[in-house]
Amino acid sequence: MIFVQILVNGLVLGSLYACIAAGFSLVWGVLNVINLMHGSFIVLGAYLALGLYLSIGLAPWWSLAVAAVLFFGIGYLIQRFLINRVIAAPVLLSLTLTFGLDLIIQNAMLYVFKADYRSLKLDPALGSLAFGSVVVPVDRLIAMIFALLLTLALYIVLRKSRVGRAIVAVRVDQGAARLLGVNIPSIYAIAFGIGTAMAASAGTLLALTFPIAPVASYAFLGKAFVVCVLGGLGSVPGAVLGGLLLGLVETFGAYALGPEFAVMLSFGLLILFLVVRPQGILGRWGFE
Amino acid sequence: MSKYIILGVVLVGLAAAPLTGDTYLMRMATLACMYAVMAASWNLIGGLTGYPSFGTAAFFGLGAYTSGILATLGVALPVSIAAAGVVAFVVAAIIGFILLRLKGHYFAIATLACVELLREIANSATDLTGGGMGLNIPRNADLGIFAEASLFFFAMWGLLALTAVVCLVVERSKIGFALSCIRQAEGAAEMIGINSTLYKTLAFALSGVFVAMAGGVYASWVHYIEPGDVFDILLTIKPVVMALIGGVGSSVGAIVGAIVYIAAEEVIWRNYLDFSSGIIGLTVVGLVLFLPHGLGSLHLRLRGKAVTP
Amino acid sequence: MTFAFRDFRSVGWSAAVAALVAGTMVSAAQAQAKDVIKFGAPLPLTGALSPEALKAKQGFEIWMEMVNKAGGIKVGDRKMKVEIAFVDYQSNTPKAVQAAEGLITQEKVDFLFSPHGSGAAKAASNVSEKYKVPTVAATASSTQVFDQKPRYLFGTYTPNETLLAPLFPIAKRDLPSLKKVAIYTRNDLFPLALSQAVEQTAKKNGLDIVFNEKYAITALDHSSALSQLKAAAPDWIFVFGYTNDNLMIRKQMIDQRLEAPLITMLTGPSYPEFVEAAGVAGSENITGASWWDAAVRYTSEDVFGSTEGYIKAFKDKFGIVPDYGHASYTVAAVALQLAIEKAGTTDREKVRDALASLDAKTFFGPIKFNEIGQANSYDPPIFQLRDGKTVVLYPEATKQGDLRLGVK
Repeated sequence: MIFVQILVNGLVLGSLYACIAAGFSLVWGVLNVINLMHGSFIVLGAYLALGLYLSIGLAPWWSLAVAAVLFFGIGYLIQRFLINRVIAAPVLLSLTLTFGLDLIIQNAMLYVFKADYRSLKLDPALGSLAFGSVVVPVDRLIAMIFALLLTLALYIVLRKSRVGRAIVAVRVDQGAARLLGVNIPSIYAIAFGIGTAMAASAGTLLALTFPIAPVASYAFLGKAFVVCVLGGLGSVPGAVLGGLLLGLVETFGAYALGPEFAVMLSFGLLILFLVVRPQGILGRWGFE
Repeated sequence: MSKYIILGVVLVGLAAAPLTGDTYLMRMATLACMYAVMAASWNLIGGLTGYPSFGTAAFFGLGAYTSGILATLGVALPVSIAAAGVVAFVVAAIIGFILLRLKGHYFAIATLACVELLREIANSATDLTGGGMGLNIPRNADLGIFAEASLFFFAMWGLLALTAVVCLVVERSKIGFALSCIRQAEGAAEMIGINSTLYKTLAFALSGVFVAMAGGVYASWVHYIEPGDVFDILLTIKPVVMALIGGVGSSVGAIVGAIVYIAAEEVIWRNYLDFSSGIIGLTVVGLVLFLPHGLGSLHLRLRGKAVTP
Repeated sequence: MTFAFRDFRSVGWSAAVAALVAGTMVSAAQAQAKDVIKFGAPLPLTGALSPEALKAKQGFEIWMEMVNKAGGIKVGDRKMKVEIAFVDYQSNTPKAVQAAEGLITQEKVDFLFSPHGSGAAKAASNVSEKYKVPTVAATASSTQVFDQKPRYLFGTYTPNETLLAPLFPIAKRDLPSLKKVAIYTRNDLFPLALSQAVEQTAKKNGLDIVFNEKYAITALDHSSALSQLKAAAPDWIFVFGYTNDNLMIRKQMIDQRLEAPLITMLTGPSYPEFVEAAGVAGSENITGASWWDAAVRYTSEDVFGSTEGYIKAFKDKFGIVPDYGHASYTVAAVALQLAIEKAGTTDREKVRDALASLDAKTFFGPIKFNEIGQANSYDPPIFQLRDGKTVVLYPEATKQGDLRLGVK
């Protein structure tokens, strides 16, 4: 029975990871930018959910919509006016730029929100569902469903909408996309905006599950890296598969080897994948 | 001004620190030497060869623990530091051989993961490293404040001088030429008969050696290390920013960049109690956007020439 | 290029932005003229430990204000005002060491306080030993910090072992069937030391340890470990870590419907933030321990007069009841003050001797250091959370209620 419980734990955790990583993967895959602010955007989304719940009683899954719109705008502006300026430069520059920006956001968050851990407690609490001796926490279940819906929505946008197809076109062949009249800087800004919106929306859902604090961002960022490589860059279904794989590896790893090895295992897996299958489970070779 | 003159002036200027008798100044100078070693080492792989390594902290921690563990077993400081260098060379060669087939961000992430992995190993190998309890490195006999500060300053300074010489020799040699070729067009380099795997691996291994030795000196300097302190991601990122300040590709630039960074950080840190990291962030952003080729391109900026990233 | 290190500070002060701030620093230094005693406090104002730093700063500030209001510290036949230089070490231990040296050599402080926690205190003590500066560690409880017998370092926390040992006889009395113990620990200096202490005490008391695991410092998810822990069906669960770990684990315990007669967590429940974030229901009946609680009552020879005096002064200034995070830093300062007054001089060597032989009543409890410099003179309170408030179970003198079993 404990086996089933751990399987369930792993799958639920994995979909949270998928939700953390989807936007990160999009930005990395399309723009070739490793956005070190991703974790901070997640935390900002969580603070937004907390603020809206405490002030007007809005449940986190509704705050999600607010976060998505607001952070799309923020992401769009950051890309348009800052990152686009170094997008053609070696990868090192864009990475350093996002590192510097993240230092600023981190310090500002510390200043505004203080360093204390907060948490979003719904009243009444959501509790958990029991199937025999197997339990599933409802908040994680909700986060899981929304996470999957969100990634599905992203997938549909990329496949079906004009903008989405332009994003995919830029990812696959920038030169050809430009010849076809795609406004590349604008597409970059939109893609980054979507990535940021995904991060903040994920944050609103995670507010139910994890304590909220400025420093929490690094743990989320670390997971995003791993999931992204496992799933394949820029691939939305890949992010889901990568997240699930990481969730299962961590939970079963902790069970078999002891919890202190869960983190080690995930980074070991990351290196293994990079060496053996750098394109990830589903992805194609990305940028060099 | 030729880079040799700049390097000479920097090294002599640093060596003047003990003349002041100010031990805090000497601590800063020791730190500057330490970071200069790391920035110049990073430049070998990240600048010269064009592989954006984020593994610096991995070798720093590896060196700190190698020499720290040896010191607790009673091995003398010079021997334990040399051992740290040797261990790092071997480990870096193995890691490099495996990971250097990756490029760009893939390589960056893989090396970053090495830092995390080594930190977790240090955390778990409690019998050897003390794990989360940390590792105490015995103090050498009580030397007195100034003598101890001088000892570690000159150890770090000597290491910097050695690193600088090796980097300059590599830059000028056939290896340096091969590495430049690899950076510009690896496929073409292979075609003209350059064994790129060999040279890349060599560059990566060399970039680990001096960083590990600096870690070794650091461990006996502070007497106490923890996995989180010596496998700190900041130890990976700062040298990259320093090399950017100096202008990527030049080891002398990286050394100057390290000194400028440490000096600026200290001034900001002293003057802004709880917004220091934000201001450092602003500085980094400004640098990337306006001086992407480092301080060396400042004169171009000032003359109103376009500096494109 | 030689500019950088010939006189480092002159470079810093010539920077336009820095000029103003630096100017005030210089004039402050000139005005000092030795009627002020200067203390140095490296604090983790930014980074992972920053919640602790805010408490520490308030803990110091209330002491400084009260002492200066009373005219200062009595040194021989005159009174000297108090000044504390705060430095942010960014929750980074190497930076804490650097800050300690900077405070001694640049800020010219007379005495030093340790950075937060056992690891950083240990690292920084190498500096204060070197410069022979008496240093009081407010939050270093691990005996490992003192095991090399530092001469100038004194810790106001009693050793970790003293924290939970008294709860064992109480638990055995109230839960005769007590047999199975589970321990879940953050892989970090202080939690590991707690875990080792509990492991030994449990064995000594004839209990079985059915689960004993460590979790990584960066762990986000504990579901797998908790499922295993649940399967082991322990009577008593110990969780060691910091507030964020405790919160995350507590939440995931409730999610998994993990219940036990006794659940003890450290250090989270000692802070009001834990109750606020975990909720009244989520924290009900959890036991914890800390070196101080606002419920203890002592009369004291310090500037506050008694524990109540301390709480009132603190409330008047900051509007909240102090928790042990605040009080730990205040008592570190109080101990130094009492030692200076006892020595009747600011001579470091004499103050160091006065600390070593200190035997003083403080609002925190009686403070006296053992031969390695660690306090061993008071009983840290053990408490249980009920209705979001702490109820002291031990020591007898300040006991407010009996142990209640059952944590859901």
